[in-house]
This record gives sequence, C-alpha cells and structure tokens, in this order.
Amino acid sequence: MVKMYGVTKVYASGAEALRGVDLSIDKGEFVFVVGPSGAGKSTLLAMVYRGMVPTQGQVWVAGRNIVRLRWREVPLFRRRIGVVFQDFKLLPDRSVYDNVAFAMEVIEASRRDIAKRVPLALDMVGLAHKAQAMPGELAGGEQQRAAIARAIVNDPLIVIADEPTGNLDPDTSMDIMNLLCDINLRGTTVIMATHNQLVVDRLRRRVVHLEDGVVVRDELRGGYCLEA
Amino acid sequence: MKLRTMALLGGRTFRNIRRTPALISVIVVMACMVVLGVLAAFTANLMHIGGQLQSQVQLRVLLAQDGAPVDKDSIRNAIRALPGVKKVEYVSRDEALNRLSLQMGESGFFLSDLERNPLPDSFDVSIARAEDARPTADGIRRLAGVSDIIYGQKWVDNLVGALRVLWGVTGAVAGLVLVGASLIVSNTIKLSVFARRKEIEIMKLVGAADGFILFPFVIEGLVIGLVGAAMATALVTAGYVGLAAWAQSAASFVCIVSDPARLKPAALGMIVFGAVVGLTGSAISVRRYLRV
Repeated sequence: MVKMYGVTKVYASGAEALRGVDLSIDKGEFVFVVGPSGAGKSTLLAMVYRGMVPTQGQVWVAGRNIVRLRWREVPLFRRRIGVVFQDFKLLPDRSVYDNVAFAMEVIEASRRDIAKRVPLALDMVGLAHKAQAMPGELAGGEQQRAAIARAIVNDPLIVIADEPTGNLDPDTSMDIMNLLCDINLRGTTVIMATHNQLVVDRLRRRVVHLEDGVVVRDELRGGYCLEA
Repeated sequence: MKLRTMALLGGRTFRNIRRTPALISVIVVMACMVVLGVLAAFTANLMHIGGQLQSQVQLRVLLAQDGAPVDKDSIRNAIRALPGVKKVEYVSRDEALNRLSLQMGESGFFLSDLERNPLPDSFDVSIARAEDARPTADGIRRLAGVSDIIYGQKWVDNLVGALRVLWGVTGAVAGLVLVGASLIVSNTIKLSVFARRKEIEIMKLVGAADGFILFPFVIEGLVIGLVGAAMATALVTAGYVGLAAWAQSAASFVCIVSDPARLKPAALGMIVFGAVVGLTGSAISVRRYLRV
C-alpha cells in the first residue's frame, strides 16, 4: 500500500527531517510511528498524503509514484486518503454534520450520497446524536471523533493520524484508539504518529521508530520502547 | 465543475460575504473608492476647464495688403491642411472693421471718421490644443500672402505650461491613489482570505480541486469590489451633483462639469476598477494558500 525508497527531506532552513527512509506498509496494516519530537514523524506522514514531496527518494502509494503526481492530480489522490490531526481541524462555524458532509461536498458527491453516508460515518464514531452540534459545543474526544468521521466518510484506502490522542485524556485516548482499530478491522490501512506510550504498549501493533529522521526500529507487535 | 456544485458554492459565497471580515472589506473598498472618485471628479473638471481654455485659443492670420493679388482659397486650404487646425473662418477687412466697432462700443466713434479702412483681410483659425498654436503659427507664417499672425503668444505659452504642470501633478496623484487603493483593497481581501486559511487548508486535505477552493473566494472578491465601488460611486455622484448644482446657483460663471451624463465614464471606470482589483486581489491571495 505504501512504499518509500531512500526518502530524504531537507527543509529550506537546511534542517534534515528525514534521511534515506525505506519503508513498506501493506494493505490493512496498523502502523505506529513513534519517536521524540523533531524525529520526523509528521514529515513522514505528510509524505504519504502528499502534503510534502521528498528532496530525494520515491514514495509509492496504492501503486502510484506520488512524487511524480501532477499538481491537478493531487486532489484526486487525496480523496483516497483520510487525515486526522491532533488539533482536529474542524470548521468552527459549521455543525458536526456539515463538517463531515464538507469532505463529500468538495469531491462533488451527490446530495443523495451525502445524506446516506454522513449519518453512517457519524454513527460509526458514535456521534449520531450530536450531528447538529457545533464543534465548540463538543468535548475534545468528541471533536476528534467528528474529525475521524470526516476522514472515513469517503471510504479511504489509508487513514493517517498525526498524534490524534495528543490533546485527550487516557480514557478518551483509548476510545479513539478503539475507533481507529475498528476502522482498521474493516480493511483500511492506518498509519498513526504518536507519543502515547500507553496506547502503543497496549495495542501491540507494528512500530516504526524514528530518530533524527532515520528509522532506528521497525518491529511487528512492538512496544513504544525497545524491549530487551 | 457541476452546476449543482456551482450553486452550492454561490450560496456559500453569499453566506461568507455576510460575515464581518467581508463587510469590513466592503467598507474599506468603499472608502478607497470615494477618494478615487473625488479625484476623478477633480480631474474631470480640470480637463473640462483645460478644454474650455484651449478652445478659446485662436490665431488671427493677417493677409498682405501691399497690392499684390492674394489667393485666399489656396491660403485657406493650406491652413486647413495643417495638423491641429479645427476651423478656418475668413474675415474680410470690412467685417473686421465692423467687429472692431462693435467691440469698442461708444468709444469706437472715431472709426467712422477714418478715410479708409486700415484693417487687412484675415482668417480666424481655431486649433484643437493650445500647444498646437506655435507650430501652426510657424506653418502659416511660411505661406505666401500672409503678413502677420496674432495669437497672444505669451499668454498661450503660459497656458500650455500651466496645463502641462497640472496634467503632470494630477496624473502623478491619480497614479499614487490608484496604486494605494489597489494595495489597500487587495490587502483587505488578503486579510479576509487569511482569516479563512484554515478552511482552505482543510479543503486541500480532503481533496478539493483548486477551482473548487478558488471559485467562492474569487466571486467574493469580485462582489466585495463591485459593491464597495458601486456604493462609493453612488455616494460621490450624489455628492458631486449636489455640489455642482449649488456651485452653479451660487456662482454661475464657475466653469464646472454639471451634466451627470459626463460623469458616466468615470463612474463606470470606478466600478470596473473595484471589480478587477477585488477579483485579482482575492485570486492572488488564495493562490498563496493553495500550495499545501
């Protein structure tokens, strides 16, 4: 599903975020990307949804070399990827329903499709009863659920989550993780960057550990830290 | 883009316009356009006064009266052929004396005592622009049968100089105001776009095409520019028409543009300018945020 070959990213400031990263993620996998702040986790995720292009190397997603995508092809590619952020990125002046529907409006889905799929997505994340609430009226966990509903409403191949539990308490974090696991069980590949040791240690999924832009550990059913 | 999507974006555009930043943008555009409108009215009057003064510049071409026959028709044709000449009118020596007598009124009584008419036959030559006076006079002077040309050379030279300075100053001020207004309007729209950069970022992340993102902003910019400029135009026109009517009644000799029809090109220009700046300002601003 995702293949990276010798991916290096150097920012305009000269900082090297990634250095020759090779990575392969299969369809349906659940991968944690861990490492200290500034290790290159968010940069690695941005490479997958084509939020950035590498300075060197190639990134293949769903059989396409996305580094070579033409500018007008990028939106079409992103419609197959769902992205979730730590800060939720919900539109504050629209209801939960409208925020989720927004992801379908931009791809010009039919009104009938929107009316059918948005309630399903909200139901899956357990927010059907708060469809008309505004984001400001929701707790942090609920806002993240709404963001996840928006990410999955177009039935993406991959869900990328950049520290989705960063702003949440441990219980709410586990709820969000269970939700992401459910999404993964339906066959969607999930790649998640996190600092949350509890979550990683409890779920025991594949762990890709980055330090200074280099993969220092790639372990199936790994923990947050390397276990002796 | 589907028709239904365009309708959806149209609705969103007008919902966005009702928000505070858009309203503030309209007010800023209006304020800039009022300044531009006042300058346009001033320039229109300056051009009007300049035109009036220039239309009064006339060359009197005196024909030789030394006894040799003068071919008036060929002189008239030669004058007409000169560039910048608007009208050529033949004035016979009798007609000239008549006019002089009328001009002098009661103090012209002595003209009837003259043994013979001392005035020569002449042509009154009207020109399009005051600055054409000197080259036209030089051209006429070279014609056979012409003895002299009278046109108040110094006065005309002063007028040409004064008009040149005025055009230059007005042009420079208009240029500055135009650039200033463009910057203010486009920056105001930029602020409105900046306030919604998060929305643009989210649209990009969920796979919105650039056209889908750009469309409501560009339409919004166009509407802000149009509405602001139209309000300013209405305000300036109403104010000007009232002021012109007052000036005409208070001092009828004041030479100002009072016909509202003559203000139409300036008004139209302002509205088009507002629309263009609004449209391009928003398109340029949004493009910056599309590179996500």
